Amino acid sequence: MDTMLTSREIVATLEMLQSEHLDLRTVTLGINLMDCVSDDLETLRRNVRTKIKTLARHLVATCNQISDKYGIPVVNKRISVSPIAIVAAPFDASQMVAMAQTLNDVAAEVNVDFIGGFSALVEKGLARGDRALIEAIPEALSRTERVCASVNVASTRAGINMDAVLMMGEVVKAAAEKTAAQDGLAAAKLCVFANIPQDVPFMAGAYLGIGEPDAVINVGVSGPGVVRKAIDRALAQNPGWDLGMISDLIKRTAYKVTRVGELIGREVAESIGIEFGAVDLSLAPTPNVGDSVGEIFQSLGLRNIGVPGSTAALAMLNDAVKKGGAFASSHVGGLSGAFIPVSEDLNIADAAREGHLCIEKLEAMTSVCSVGLDMVAIPGDTTTETIAAIIADEMAIGVINFKTTATRLIPVPGKKAGENAYFGGLLGQSVIMPVNNARGDNPFILHGGRIPAPIHSMKN
Amino acid sequence: MKKVIISVLGIDCPGIIATVSRFLYENDSNIENVSQTSLQSEFAGIFIATVPATVPIPEIEQKLADTVEPMGLQVHVKPVEPRHQKKTAAVAESFVITTRGPDQKGLVARITAIIARYEVNITNCQAVFKGGKDPNDNIMIYEVDIPPQADQSALFRDLREKGAELSLQVSIQHRDIFKALNRI
Repeated sequence: MDTMLTSREIVATLEMLQSEHLDLRTVTLGINLMDCVSDDLETLRRNVRTKIKTLARHLVATCNQISDKYGIPVVNKRISVSPIAIVAAPFDASQMVAMAQTLNDVAAEVNVDFIGGFSALVEKGLARGDRALIEAIPEALSRTERVCASVNVASTRAGINMDAVLMMGEVVKAAAEKTAAQDGLAAAKLCVFANIPQDVPFMAGAYLGIGEPDAVINVGVSGPGVVRKAIDRALAQNPGWDLGMISDLIKRTAYKVTRVGELIGREVAESIGIEFGAVDLSLAPTPNVGDSVGEIFQSLGLRNIGVPGSTAALAMLNDAVKKGGAFASSHVGGLSGAFIPVSEDLNIADAAREGHLCIEKLEAMTSVCSVGLDMVAIPGDTTTETIAAIIADEMAIGVINFKTTATRLIPVPGKKAGENAYFGGLLGQSVIMPVNNARGDNPFILHGGRIPAPIHSMKN
Repeated sequence: MKKVIISVLGIDCPGIIATVSRFLYENDSNIENVSQTSLQSEFAGIFIATVPATVPIPEIEQKLADTVEPMGLQVHVKPVEPRHQKKTAAVAESFVITTRGPDQKGLVARITAIIARYEVNITNCQAVFKGGKDPNDNIMIYEVDIPPQADQSALFRDLREKGAELSLQVSIQHRDIFKALNRI
């Protein structure tokens, strides 16, 4: 027989749910679309619609039911699909837009808020489908609400495709301009990656990799509020704790948070008869007080995220989260670490507004966090070359350090640094951060070609 | 040999388990199972033991009562009834119900009346009352086994309605979540 639960265990769990925002951030159903291919666009669209509807029809209801059973909110239910640049390789840009429309419609039909996989993998070069998809991104993202796009332009094994980087500079800017009335919202649904993982459940980077099964459930846990409260409680009782002890506490907390994801993910997968993939154990904030990664920095004793010491604090946090999570689940995947999306985290957005956090510091921090320059609003008149150059810098960090990095930059049309950009909902709002040399030219970027893959020895 | 259950009640002090177990040992009896708990200053213990078939139970009870009398304890001894477990008990689902909010007379009675109405068995019940003025510091915890034939959603609905009426925050969660979060 099981041993009795102790009242302490029960009360601690209640606290995490009722006042610390413990939830499952996303259950993402990955669907392989490779068996839908056709050289006839209408056939392809029909096959895609049928396959997604068949597999995802019970997703939302099942998540809600299991969420009720355990009393843990499943905040988002989402879908990721095979890279559309490959699935729809024979088609041109306008036909790619039609594909995006199909994905958007079927996402609405099965009631998921985002569908990811309007994606291309071009780290070593662009195939016909890749080119068409990238060209279609601004139109596709401005005409749809639920579709998310990602383009992998670099990897540690291939180097950085600088032609693709320059294209993405143009695409990011064009996407933002097509949604000028919404402060460039389309660009908030577009990630540019180095070393993209195949099983990310989080948007906007979610897609289903080619090595993945026909259908798979990946879950993303969250829990910055839980980590923060644990640190606050511990330091209130033991103000003398050193960073080794604090790191251990974060580890134990990450363990608990990940266990929730593992339990619910497996049960959802079993209920709808789909394989369970991986838990992405990321600290993903939302624009709510108490659900912030930035607040953790303050609990650790930093005035704000961005002040000196922030990179060290983030390195410790990210590593402790991974260690705790890896012990809690044998199948950890996706991005796994701490996210620092500026507009999606009230506290980080405030740090940017107060001038404690600048893009350069943010970039430094991305070398030790799980993703990159995420949800960063920049002035609308930033040139495509400068945008591409920021992307290239971020890719270089990922490529050299064998890690995933990404950019989600929003050049907010018609607005200048210091003004406010508003994206709404989970995407939040932020001050527009100043960019060094925003309007200058950048001949370096125009050289094009590919920055070679780095040497894998002589690590310094 | 025959099986008996012995309950011991009284003010908690060192030596209760030692005294009872020595008595059983000296009377050729074997302890099969024992559980004790203390609430505030009071002790309660239950022992399941096998005792010689030849000695009548009232006699054992009297001798034990005399033994523990100096410690101010009360005892009760009765034969263990054969278990008539319902077949469905094995597949019952375990949930944890908690209510949080102002303490009041009849709180436990009204919540457990609903649980009983659905023929749901309470397997463990604890009160976590920290005292003080914050009503959120008062938590009642009920671990329950819900048999498959019980109407789970109706039970949960009734509990939540009663909770709202009594200004209680009611949460109902499958037991596995507490295990997943707290146990390796």
